[in-house]
Amino acid sequence: MQAEKFIIRGYSGEEANRITRPTISYWKDAWRRLKRNPVAMASLAVLVLMAVMVVFGPSFRGMDYVTMNFSTKNKVPDSTFWFGTDNMGRDLFSRIWVGARASILIALVATALKMVVGTVYGAVMAHFGGWVDDLMMRIIEVINSVPSLLVTILIMMVLGNNMFALLVALSITAWCNTARQTRGMIKQLRESEYVYAAEVLGAGPMRVIFKHYVPNMISILILDASTAIPGFIFSEAGLSFLGIGLKAPEISLGVLISMGQQTMDFYPYQLIFPCAVLCVIVMAFNLLGDGLRNALDPRLRQ
Amino acid sequence: MVKYIIRRFLEMILTLFLIATATFFLLEAVPGDPLTQRADKLQPQSRERLYERYGLDKPVLERYLLTMEGLARGDFGESFVYAGQTVGGLIQSRLPVSARLGLQQMILGVGVGLLLGILAAMKRGTLIDYLVVGLSVLLISIPHLIFGLMLQKIFAGTLRILPTIGWPSGDELWFGGWKYTILPTLTGCFSYIAIYARLLKTSMLDVVNQDYVLTAESKGLSRGAVIRRHILRNSFIPVMTQLPMSVAMCITGSFFIESIFSIPGIGQYYVTAVNNQDLSIVMGETVLLSLLYIVVLFITDILYAVVDPRISMPGAGK
Repeated sequence: MQAEKFIIRGYSGEEANRITRPTISYWKDAWRRLKRNPVAMASLAVLVLMAVMVVFGPSFRGMDYVTMNFSTKNKVPDSTFWFGTDNMGRDLFSRIWVGARASILIALVATALKMVVGTVYGAVMAHFGGWVDDLMMRIIEVINSVPSLLVTILIMMVLGNNMFALLVALSITAWCNTARQTRGMIKQLRESEYVYAAEVLGAGPMRVIFKHYVPNMISILILDASTAIPGFIFSEAGLSFLGIGLKAPEISLGVLISMGQQTMDFYPYQLIFPCAVLCVIVMAFNLLGDGLRNALDPRLRQ
Repeated sequence: MVKYIIRRFLEMILTLFLIATATFFLLEAVPGDPLTQRADKLQPQSRERLYERYGLDKPVLERYLLTMEGLARGDFGESFVYAGQTVGGLIQSRLPVSARLGLQQMILGVGVGLLLGILAAMKRGTLIDYLVVGLSVLLISIPHLIFGLMLQKIFAGTLRILPTIGWPSGDELWFGGWKYTILPTLTGCFSYIAIYARLLKTSMLDVVNQDYVLTAESKGLSRGAVIRRHILRNSFIPVMTQLPMSVAMCITGSFFIESIFSIPGIGQYYVTAVNNQDLSIVMGETVLLSLLYIVVLFITDILYAVVDPRISMPGAGK
């Protein structure tokens, strides 16, 4: 057997090493999985539609939704007033989208607050460890040992019924969960071999943070946010309904629902439309969240 | 074990103390004075007397100590708005109402939820599974509030077969007067159904793939016995950890449900007290509800340690 008796035919060494399929990053893969999930894509479409509606919906019909006009009081839905008018003659269609805008905005800002406070707090806990960690964990435990709505209500009592108070009150308990998850994740990552390897290879703290910590954390944070947003929308509506959140002249879905309840025996549509919009928004967020969980969590993959 | 329980118990007392302190000072920061409304039209002399009666003439720190002392004795304070009404008295008259509502909700909701969860896990991948999962997503996406309002609208408003508001009292406080309790109970139980069905299903599917289930099956145990003795038993631990959450849900749920159906329970009273700025009642009830919640947390922790031997008990020693 002599090597020169054999020649390679058909392909060169270079060709053999070529990667024929495109490399797929984590995010591309997640997006591909999400795209294959019809329920999640439908919810995404609904959310995009909702986003468009809360931006343009109020000006869509060109009606005045703030000034009272008693000549058009309590009109049932027709071609002029698509969702009817409320007991002060204001176009409900426009008002619902303004209300949804406020509700979604509150949910998004509260989620952002929760994320920022939670990750920073969690990172500090994981970084310092020792008694700092213990103390900070104790604080979380104390906050968590009160039903969160009670804390929210107390804060609302102190700060009054306005948007700022509501944001503070909603996010004041919500960050605990994010902080715990961040702490756990960072502690776990710090012990992992690949972070150790990166450090041995001379990667600075910034590189470790942005190349290893952030990509690992971000999927957890996205999932956290996707469950937090519908929760905040719920809480806002609930608090406003009880008269503890926003109050009328301000418009939010909760305010509209509580106004609708007062007239529900005679004009049920005034209650049903805001409720329906609230449910659709929350359901879309929940279903998208489920889809994201399947797409992002490697442990759930088959 | 005993050491662990004692330690957790002391922690519980400390937590409660911190909560009471935080609540007191938070309420101290509420703008305005709780007696302004009542004292506005009074003569200066009677006004002074009124402030004296509620101890509001004393400095903050002294009142804090007095309140704490009262709490330690089990005296949760007297209403600023309605003279003579105390939190202690309210507990007697209103707690049973909320307790009944909560128990009915939980028994129905958790029961149906667990059954659906078992069904979905056993019939995995079939239409039944999808129906249960779909139903739970649907139920979880509709808040108490909207369920309550819609049920009220349909069954009490349009069909007129059930009363809109009200609650049995007197002899029927704990048993009887069912038609009043149907709608509120239904309103509350949906979220339990959704949560427990989903939870038990995922938990059971985790257990089904464990080696001991395979062993049990290869021993020749019947399917029913495997499910009952091996799968169900082991999948209940994650379900149990949801107990505190369920109680919290019951408390917060009672705020909405009792407001919608005008049920004279502690939730409705809390909301009324908040809207009336009745600070002493808010203080007392906050501490009381937190106490309830903390006790449930405490019991869950201990149950958890008892049921699952894999959980090491810090402080128990090796």
